[in-house]
Amino acid sequence: MATVKINGKEITVEDGTLILDAARQAGFEIPTFCYQARLSRLGSCRMCIIEIGGQKKLQPSCVTPVMHGMEVFTENETVKSARASMLEFLLANHPLDCPTCDKGGECELQDFVFKSGPRRSPFSESKRRFHDKDKILSPVIIKNHNRCIHCERCVRICDEVVGRTALGSIGRGAKIMETSFMDSTLDCDHCGNCIEVCPVGSWMSLPYRYKARTWDLKEIDTVCPYCATGCQFTIGARNNEIVRVKSKITTGINKETLCARGRFGYNFIQSEKRLKKPLLKKNGKLVESSWDEAISFIKQRFGAGKKTAGIASARHTNEELFVFQKLIRDVFKTNNIDLDSRFANKWVTSSAIEVLNLAAGGISIFDALKAEVIFVIGSAISNENPITDYLIRQTAVDRRKTLILAHPRRFKLNSSANISLRYKPGTEGEVIKGITDFIEKGVFHGNVVGDISQVGEKFKNAKNITMFLGADILRLDNGTNVVAEIVALKGLLKKAGKNIIIQPLFDRCNQRGARAMGIHPLFLPGLKKVKENGMDCGEILDAAKKGEIDSLYILGEDIVSMYPDAKFAKDALSNIKFKVVQDTFLTETAKTADVVIPGASYAEKDGTFTNQEGRVQRLRKVISPVGNSKDDLDILCSIGGFAYKSAKEVFDDIKKEVLGYKDINFDALDGNGALVKGHGAENQGSRVKGQGASEIASASPRNDTSSNPYLDEYPFLLITGNHLFHSGRLSQNDDVLIKLLAEPFVEISEEDAKELGLTDKENVKVKSSEYEAVLKLRVVKGSQKGVAFMPENFDSVSVNQFYKKGQGIARVKIEKQV
Amino acid sequence: MEPILLKNINTPDSHKVDVYLKNNGYQALASALKMQPDGVIQMVKDSGLRGRGGAGFSTGLKWSFIPKDPTIPKYLCCNADEGEPGTFKDRVIIEKDPHQLIEGMIITCYAIGAKTAYIYIRGEFAFGTKRLEQAIKEAYEKGYLGKNILGSNFDCDIHIHRGFGAYICGEETALLESIEGLRGRPRIKPPFPAIAGLYAKPTVINNVETLSCISHIVNKGPKWFSSIGPEKSPGPKLFGVSGHVNKPGMYELPMGTTAREIIYNHAGGIRNGKKLKAFIPGGVSAPMLVEKDLDTPMDFDSLAAKGTMLGSGGIIVMDETACIVKVAMRTMAFFRHESCGKCTPCREGIDWTYKVLHRLEKGEGKEGDVELLEKLCGNIFGRTFCPLGDGAVMALRGALKNFRDEFVEHVKNKGCIV
Ligand SMILES: Cc1cc2nc3c(=O)[nH]c(=O)nc-3n(C[C@H](O)[C@H](O)[C@H](O)COP(=O)(O)O)c2cc1C
Ligand code: SF4
Ligand code: SF4
Ligand code: SF4
Ligand code: FES
Repeated sequence: MATVKINGKEITVEDGTLILDAARQAGFEIPTFCYQARLSRLGSCRMCIIEIGGQKKLQPSCVTPVMHGMEVFTENETVKSARASMLEFLLANHPLDCPTCDKGGECELQDFVFKSGPRRSPFSESKRRFHDKDKILSPVIIKNHNRCIHCERCVRICDEVVGRTALGSIGRGAKIMETSFMDSTLDCDHCGNCIEVCPVGSWMSLPYRYKARTWDLKEIDTVCPYCATGCQFTIGARNNEIVRVKSKITTGINKETLCARGRFGYNFIQSEKRLKKPLLKKNGKLVESSWDEAISFIKQRFGAGKKTAGIASARHTNEELFVFQKLIRDVFKTNNIDLDSRFANKWVTSSAIEVLNLAAGGISIFDALKAEVIFVIGSAISNENPITDYLIRQTAVDRRKTLILAHPRRFKLNSSANISLRYKPGTEGEVIKGITDFIEKGVFHGNVVGDISQVGEKFKNAKNITMFLGADILRLDNGTNVVAEIVALKGLLKKAGKNIIIQPLFDRCNQRGARAMGIHPLFLPGLKKVKENGMDCGEILDAAKKGEIDSLYILGEDIVSMYPDAKFAKDALSNIKFKVVQDTFLTETAKTADVVIPGASYAEKDGTFTNQEGRVQRLRKVISPVGNSKDDLDILCSIGGFAYKSAKEVFDDIKKEVLGYKDINFDALDGNGALVKGHGAENQGSRVKGQGASEIASASPRNDTSSNPYLDEYPFLLITGNHLFHSGRLSQNDDVLIKLLAEPFVEISEEDAKELGLTDKENVKVKSSEYEAVLKLRVVKGSQKGVAFMPENFDSVSVNQFYKKGQGIARVKIEKQV
Repeated sequence: MEPILLKNINTPDSHKVDVYLKNNGYQALASALKMQPDGVIQMVKDSGLRGRGGAGFSTGLKWSFIPKDPTIPKYLCCNADEGEPGTFKDRVIIEKDPHQLIEGMIITCYAIGAKTAYIYIRGEFAFGTKRLEQAIKEAYEKGYLGKNILGSNFDCDIHIHRGFGAYICGEETALLESIEGLRGRPRIKPPFPAIAGLYAKPTVINNVETLSCISHIVNKGPKWFSSIGPEKSPGPKLFGVSGHVNKPGMYELPMGTTAREIIYNHAGGIRNGKKLKAFIPGGVSAPMLVEKDLDTPMDFDSLAAKGTMLGSGGIIVMDETACIVKVAMRTMAFFRHESCGKCTPCREGIDWTYKVLHRLEKGEGKEGDVELLEKLCGNIFGRTFCPLGDGAVMALRGALKNFRDEFVEHVKNKGCIV
């Protein structure tokens, strides 16, 4: 510990504390530009210079640690005038076009000049000017080089946090310019984090351009509706119109960062295509109706008992899902309720609940990342959970840690990984088993590309290991086997006295909350076992196909587009007598419904989401539901006849039924949210090895070596998932995200492309036994041979059309398009 | 004084290993390899050798900061960036007697426990690079570089890294960044290079001239070396004289020789019988001196006492025809161009001073401009990230201090009167 005197005030801090932090702790404000807590220390702007007793030169407080007995002055005349002169220098070449700058009102330069800057400048020379017109770099990013003050926060966040290194400084002296290569967006993730950290209006958001003055915005903190990382952000609205999303350095696990979806994907809310009125099917056609008519129609027609079912999307709030579950179970009297969750069968999802410890309390990602070995399997995490990717990247910088990534595809985080493993989808269990075998017996079998023995060594030598398990596992018919292997490995490591954390990586914002709310055919709220097992999604569709389902309520899920076998799903749904779809857009599934009811988007309602860590966070209403659409909770309550008046009232009931939520105070939830506690010892998933594994023989990669004409004809395993700019089918309705990526593509390894004589960006024909389409090819160096990937985000070529029920992972061939 | 560093440069083929060997070349290496590394460091400490790159830091002391742990890789970087205007001493050694440098480097590597050394050479030195490449090749062939040098079990490799024309890359941490393939600009200190330098490993950075002294110290002993010149900054020194003198050139003289002797006795005095107006003692960053300072001994401490510095020992002489405002403007043009742009005061401040000086030169000076320049100097000095910004201000302050009237005249007369 070091005791220092700051402006006469004594304070004791940890050794090595920066003078800046010590001064802030002591209650003194020091202005900074280049300093940003999570970035490497630059010490270049010299705004933070202070005087140290006995030293002639002023020192930058953001890079100088305290020393015991040091005397520091941050407010004396020397320091004040140095500060003012630094601002004077920064203003010398700054255009001072504040009246037309989007940053005006929240510009750090403006604020500091106001506080400590010179009121007049003797600068009378001509200013540096790079360009007259701002440079549009992408559909979301616009740059004004003239305003830049060269703090390089943008360069560092892009490199150190985002992992893109799309930016750099070019030129020297006053001609220095922070920009991308040739002002292009090569390598750019369009995350806009450079915009967020820029203290001035040099990087700006193009969609927000000239939309508002910052002081005219109504700003509300809420949670991102896309992946389950659960980033906090602030929505800015003007005249009931959402004009921007920004992140805050003080709030959420994401702090100042977001990904492209979170930051720019708010435009679907006000999309023209939003459903604005209930629709009823009359004479085979969906026509607009009144709310009363729609609700009473549902009440009349919806059946009860075994022949009814409900399927919900994990994008809904805990409160909505809890009430939905009540509606299905208490009113419609059935346990046939499930989540879309990649349409894994109930045994896979149940075993996942067990291995992921979802019945136990939540674990903060920061605690999980304290382990020396971090192992990620089953998620192209850079695309699925971009901010979790950032957090892992920053942790992996620590040379004492080992990051191991196992996935068929190569993606951004691989460049930060110590070990990368490649495998064929479906063989995840073999990868895990290989590690277990190596640790146990020193030998292993399996077709993994990469050094399993090195992984085994790292596991052996670590005291704390964190495994992240991605949602890919949930797509597997043999998921229960994968889980069994993980449980075996975990047991082995536990026996060796190691601390093991297994964390989920989910692709839908409230996947974890949904299970806790009882959206599962085997579990009631709080993961209490049901008395009589219900049917999962697949079983519901099977039954429907046989004509055994009369009524189905679909809350926010697009089964026709997502179920792996589009044709089958459509056929099955057409056999159901009465279908209700509650959604925000007229999805392919909604088109087949008898009643379509327009729900609200995340920005139009209150409630909570539980992220993948188990962190319960508040969603807050910013604008009222568009058109004649309604808050989903209101809709469910009026159909079910429940008396809840607000999300909070539902939450109070949740607290009674879901043990882990008992201590959470809805009104007190702030930017940090609250981690759930355990739901009780008797509540957990169940694992029955092999149960539910259906026919996978024909498609299983394990048959690869034997000659099989089907495999020879369709050599690629086709996998899917979210693209970095998209999430499910929701984001294709966002006119900004669609500008970032408008069309699906097919991605294969460089090895395969070479063998087939195909090159990046050319059009290819992708063909399975079920479907064919022409797509742009993307070639990635270092991905697994024999694997093709296609984003799941587009109606134009819907991946599930390539799939055939019962064949597991789809098989395709890829041919030159002539 | 008999020439020491320049002893061989007039011998035909002085750059070739055979010629170097004939003149007792690589003898020092043989004796050094028989000593303990610490013994070599002690010898250099005792000699009193101070770095010739500009700062004048004790070379032996710098070496002794390198951790002794044999499991940590260590590096030596020879600073051959020679970017300071008015300086051309390293170039002479590189082109005329490269083996003298290479021998010094191998001994240094041995002393600090480094197996790998880099020569960071100014990009414009294409010819020098060729000479060095050739010499390094010869040294490998003769077994002075490579594995198991002279049967001592000591291995050493030297690589050449060419710069790309940035003055800042002569600053030692910017040099390291540049070798690592990054943008050449200074790093935060601490950590100092001796602890975390090249590739975050302990590193010594020495100037070409500094390293060229080593073989002589080993051959003739520290006592001999410290007997040359003043006690606190001993040894031979290369003085490069340029500007308005009759015989511009490179002169090797004992440290502490007076400026008068160098300029008048060796460089032949001011050309065309003109009067001396000012001289810069050690490259443009060193504040200029005038006639009355001519008897100052040219060594680190005496010049520091005069408020200037020995720097690189590049003496720039100006006669009475020189316009000091123009000199100041040209100097600031150099620094403005070479500022890496990282820190605010250097990037913005120097640009600003240049713009004001440019106006003064053009005859567009305004009342208060001289005070403005003085104020800007005060706002830059001591607050920049690295010494480049300070050096620029020191140069400008030297001009303002000695010739303030000339600046004021420029404002009054709307232009130059010289
Ligand atoms: C802006 C700047 C430029 C420099 N350029 C050179 C150079 O070209 N050559 C050099 O030897 N030292 C140069 N130096 C000094 C080096 O940083 C360093 O002090 C020197 O190489 C150490 O070697 P020495 O101890 O042998 O003098 C420069 C320093 C600064 C601040
Ligand atoms: S663009 Fe913004 S963040 Fe980047 S260096 Fe300039 S002022 Fe800093
Ligand atoms: S948008 Fe993101 S990836 Fe692109 S330059 Fe900015 S920080 Fe880098
Ligand atoms: S003083 Fe600052 S801008 Fe100038 S060269 Fe050094 S670091 Fe770069
Ligand atoms: S904030 Fe300390 S130097 Fe920039």
